[in-house]
Amino acid sequence: MNVVFAALLVSENANDGVKASNPILPETTEIVWSVVAFVLVFAVLAWKAWPAISKSLSDREAKIRADLDAAEGARVEAESSLETYKQQLADARGDAGRIIDEARQAADDVRRELIARAEADAADLRTRAQEDIRQATERAMVDLQARLADLSIELAQRIVERNLDRDTQIALIESYINEVASTQK
Amino acid sequence: MLLAAFEFPHIDELFRWKGLFFGDTAYEINKTSLLVLISSVMILLIFVGGSRRMRLIPTKLQSILEMTFEFIDHGITRDVVGKDAGRFTPFLGSLFLFILFLNFWEIVPFIQFPPTARFAIPLYLALQTYFIYWYLGFRHNGYRYLTGHLFPAGVPKALYILVTPIELVQIVIVRPFSLAVRLLANMMAGHILLTALALLTAYALENAPIIAIGPFLLNVGVTGFELLVGFLQAYIFTLLTAVYIADSIHPDH
Repeated sequence: MNVVFAALLVSENANDGVKASNPILPETTEIVWSVVAFVLVFAVLAWKAWPAISKSLSDREAKIRADLDAAEGARVEAESSLETYKQQLADARGDAGRIIDEARQAADDVRRELIARAEADAADLRTRAQEDIRQATERAMVDLQARLADLSIELAQRIVERNLDRDTQIALIESYINEVASTQK
Repeated sequence: MLLAAFEFPHIDELFRWKGLFFGDTAYEINKTSLLVLISSVMILLIFVGGSRRMRLIPTKLQSILEMTFEFIDHGITRDVVGKDAGRFTPFLGSLFLFILFLNFWEIVPFIQFPPTARFAIPLYLALQTYFIYWYLGFRHNGYRYLTGHLFPAGVPKALYILVTPIELVQIVIVRPFSLAVRLLANMMAGHILLTALALLTAYALENAPIIAIGPFLLNVGVTGFELLVGFLQAYIFTLLTAVYIADSIHPDH
């Protein structure tokens, strides 16, 4: 091959007058070592380096994908839990409202019952007081009638015992009436 | 006037190196071969050593290895060849790293020579790609791989007179030649440019120090640019190899 290129590209070295091959001609030894070096690089890299690097990238990709999937699962689970908690919170608030309403209702019932009982007691007291008053009045009237009868009898006795003139009778009657009035007070 | 006395060294001094070991044999090791071998060892040390204990939470080195793998596997192999073409990643990844490490010698102090500026390496890599895509083409498509290129569907038959020779030249000669020459020319040009600027700076320092700042700053800038060129050429070579492989597997696409 060198012969072919040399025939095409042979040049003259102006300095020493000796024919020199063109500097771009391929040297056989350089081709030999290039082949050796490249084949060595290719073989060893293909055997050791590229698979290791490729595997490392694949492993990291798989790990990242697994982590992303796990994170997505955790997010879905968290959203589900949040939804559950919100539902439970809403239920608790409903229960609390219902309990408060029931307590309020119970308190109203108790209040109404107490008021009704108090009113009943008051009415009972009033009835009994009125009854007592009526009985007292009746007793007073009975006492008054009895007293009046006694006084009438006493008065009649006094009238019978004395012969009274008109003025004395009037004074006696008025005295009687005043006595009755003072008795009723 | 000043530059009239400046003598640029003969091109052989920039690219041809004396044998260091095994002199005058087919396996002689010169500077180019030595750098190729050192690059291989460095790649293996970094990638095999770095991938021995892979962790779920990556270290900085592991991150770099993974980014490189992803860059090749997703950015080139699966995007260009196909979603299920992961089996080509080891080859394309090795190719990219091999060229990248060789290119970066251009800007390493005291070395400053990219082995890819020697035709042997781009030629070997291009021929390797060439044989791989022919092999894959015939393996996956039989003779339709060749006939599909030479007689593309949808083209009027009369145009085959033009299209067929062009396609033949393109698939047989242009592809490997352009692949090799593109890498060689870029790295060689960068090496010559950096050398010229460095020599100009040294020459100016001796004769007119005040103007040395110009080529020096330019040299710094071009060194940074060559870093980009080194990466870009490795990427382009690998990408085109992937394109040719994809074309050989799915010629209808």
